[in-house]
Amino acid sequence: MSRTVLIQPVTRIEGHAKISIQLDDAGQVESARFHVTEFRGFEKLCEGRPFQEMPGLMSRVCGICPVSHVLASSKAGDMLLGVEIPPAAEQQRRLMNYAQILQSHALSFFHLSSPDLLLGMDAPPGQRNIFGLLQHDADFLRRGIRLRQFGQRVIELVGGKKIHPGWSGPGGVQRRFTSAQRDEILGWIPEAAESVSLALERGKRVLDSFRPEIEFLGNFPSLFLGTVNELGGLEYYDGLIRIVDGRGNSIAENLDPKRYATFLGEASEDFSFVKFPYYQPFGYPQGHYRVGPLARLNVAAFAGTPRADCELREFKQRGAGAVCESFHYHLARLIEMLHCVERIEELMAHRDLFEETIQAHASLNRRECVGSCEAPRGTLFHHYWVDPDGLMTRANLLIATAQNNRAMNLAVDQAARRFLKPSSASGEFEEGMLNRLEAAIRCYDPCLSCSTHALGHMPVVVEVFAANGDLVRRIARPPDSQNA
Amino acid sequence: MRTVLIACGNCLRGDDGAAHRVLHLLGPQSGAELRSVQQLLPELAGEIAGAELVVFLDAAIDCDGLSVEAVREPEAPPALTHISRPSEIVVLSRALFGFKGLAFQCRIPVGNLSTGEGLSPSAEGFAGEAARILLDLLGHPAG
Repeated sequence: MSRTVLIQPVTRIEGHAKISIQLDDAGQVESARFHVTEFRGFEKLCEGRPFQEMPGLMSRVCGICPVSHVLASSKAGDMLLGVEIPPAAEQQRRLMNYAQILQSHALSFFHLSSPDLLLGMDAPPGQRNIFGLLQHDADFLRRGIRLRQFGQRVIELVGGKKIHPGWSGPGGVQRRFTSAQRDEILGWIPEAAESVSLALERGKRVLDSFRPEIEFLGNFPSLFLGTVNELGGLEYYDGLIRIVDGRGNSIAENLDPKRYATFLGEASEDFSFVKFPYYQPFGYPQGHYRVGPLARLNVAAFAGTPRADCELREFKQRGAGAVCESFHYHLARLIEMLHCVERIEELMAHRDLFEETIQAHASLNRRECVGSCEAPRGTLFHHYWVDPDGLMTRANLLIATAQNNRAMNLAVDQAARRFLKPSSASGEFEEGMLNRLEAAIRCYDPCLSCSTHALGHMPVVVEVFAANGDLVRRIARPPDSQNA
Repeated sequence: MRTVLIACGNCLRGDDGAAHRVLHLLGPQSGAELRSVQQLLPELAGEIAGAELVVFLDAAIDCDGLSVEAVREPEAPPALTHISRPSEIVVLSRALFGFKGLAFQCRIPVGNLSTGEGLSPSAEGFAGEAARILLDLLGHPAG
């Protein structure tokens, strides 16, 4: 009799989801899906509010990457005003984005994925968390915590608070950057650079020992989409969209993110609250694409900072034109952390950052706008429509995690087919097998609206269904071992 | 003596903001570093490292009376969930950052965690009582 396995909640991700696995009559995996089981509705609840409120409101989409939503929303607001913001404001926004990507990647790599990487996929679930790391390698953990603290501190210094900073809005930013802030940030740089370098070297060694996971946790060709600068280099704040295929061939160049709706479509599936975006010329599902660290490194010709450039050249050797293994998202994240530390240090010497003018003033000049930037997990689009009074009539958010939705489903399906084999003795699935399915998801570091966690309940469940549709097993971790 | 008071909670969820209210009542006169957070995060372990006294304040829906007690550190390493507890922050801080101070936990009884700002009269009363106790603890007896 066939059956279905359900993993719920999926742990060590930001948000609520479950994995369901359909078994055939022989007990073999027939298919596996990643379901996002929460609904937020920000696109609806913003209607009727003034567009000036959007950066503050939209930042509430997420407690991990609020800066990204503030930036995309602010840029959308800039477009409504029809202004070019002052250089100081642009540099502050860039600084905040680097800090945001650094702290978010540190959270993903050190706090959420390192337990698997350092302790092993089959380690006891109770140890696969940062307290397990504490026993295993305290210095590694300390550096990870400090690295995230650095990113958060930059956000707090510039934006006024670590989470949901409201310092940026249509036309610019609200506070000048000071030399005291620069000095404090510079004080962190040597330690941050050393910690990222050590983690990168360690990461490369450790990741290479996970050959089966590299091979089967989401290894498939796809399109990759990301923002690049005018020279084709890595760009997070403002640039043009580039799309390459799984061999690194250019599919589209110099796409204007403001015109995203002309080249990206949004499909939906009945098993998830998250959209399934695709590249329109290829249709759905053939046009599915990946975004985020792996995609950015695949589309960028260079990083633009010395040490990250060395690492990027080495990274690109791992693929034939493009690196397609989802497990290498981890390595891409480490390289991006190095790049962010280098960029933050560079920015501290940028004279524009200290200029007095930080705000461009104008009244409403447009009725429709798109703001885009690279968030930690990939390209983010905010699309707004307003009435003549500047009140929101409609919004469309295209969030990075959604753009990886089909890829995450493919990764779970591939991982289930490879790793999920019932024990010959008990007929049950070993915990390490199920953990590999979650690890396939964690490669993408999905952010399923991390600001709303049910009290005391962690996010992922695994369900196993029989061929006749009967639920035969449901695996949900008890509260005291949820983060296992 | 370096003292850190950490208030945890969400001011937009009614009484869940009770700990923040206590910090507001204490103000700079307490002589302590006052930190308002929505949740406890591992980074706090580094931030409290050099303190001699740390007090974690939070709303508690499962207690009848105000309590201030020492943070009990678990004998075995705890599993980390999305909701960190003071004991976990203290364990991390002692192990990773050399925290040697005392750690207390102040639990403020509350009843209304629905959406909206402001405390219920009961929570407001407990917040005031907590502020008085903490001032006493810090060597600034009220009134």
